[in-house]
Amino acid sequence: MKPTERFKKRYVAFVLTVEGVAPLAGEAKQIVHEHFLSFFGESGVSSLAFKLIKYDEKSGKGLVRCERSRADETIFCMACLSEWKGKRARMESTTTSGSIRRAE
Amino acid sequence: MIDIVSAENLPKADGIDSHAAASALKNFVIANDGAAARAGSKKKGVLLYVPAYEFDDGVCQELKRAGGALVFSFADVLRQKGFRRAIILSKMRLALAQCRRGGCAFAVATLAKNDGEIRNARELVAFAAVLGMNPQEKKIAEESAEKLVTR
Repeated sequence: MKPTERFKKRYVAFVLTVEGVAPLAGEAKQIVHEHFLSFFGESGVSSLAFKLIKYDEKSGKGLVRCERSRADETIFCMACLSEWKGKRARMESTTTSGSIRRAE
Repeated sequence: MIDIVSAENLPKADGIDSHAAASALKNFVIANDGAAARAGSKKKGVLLYVPAYEFDDGVCQELKRAGGALVFSFADVLRQKGFRRAIILSKMRLALAQCRRGGCAFAVATLAKNDGEIRNARELVAFAAVLGMNPQEKKIAEESAEKLVTR
């Protein structure tokens, strides 16, 4: 596939906290995946080109990939996370960029 | 960017220059039904908040005449879950379409009651985009909030 035919990517950096503390990597992955799946649905996630690129459990900082035209929806989806299994949770988007290095 | 909140002394998020407590604003009107929305829309420079997001076309025309704006609250989305969240988003989109038809201004705010409901400027802009506002309308939403809050 030609590079011009591939989907255009955006990388959105975020900070994830549950009760004010950064969750462990496994739990964070579960939170992010389940929240995106519940918000967009299976079809939505597939067309979003979503992927959790990285997550640092010490700082709670992470990076997700999405389709360029749907970056706003991705940020809104992150902002809609307010609780996780009865605990207060927050997924705050910090920066958006077309490259992983600039988004970090 | 100015954010309108429902409580005082809340922390400021990134990109938010100042918070305005809705209770301290003289021109902030909460309309719980159609009649209240119609009455509130006649007030000059009003920031009209209709929690149900259901009102008739006359409200938008009155808002345009009075130089007021309709407020879209992020907290309303945040407090709902699943199908109910989808319904409130749909109602907001219909209300925005009504505003476009009637030619009245609109504003986006968190109306947060606690610090868990505070959102940054980037998230408010994304909320506006998800409602269907184009870049020009996003600017209108930002400017009308600043103009009407500092009145």
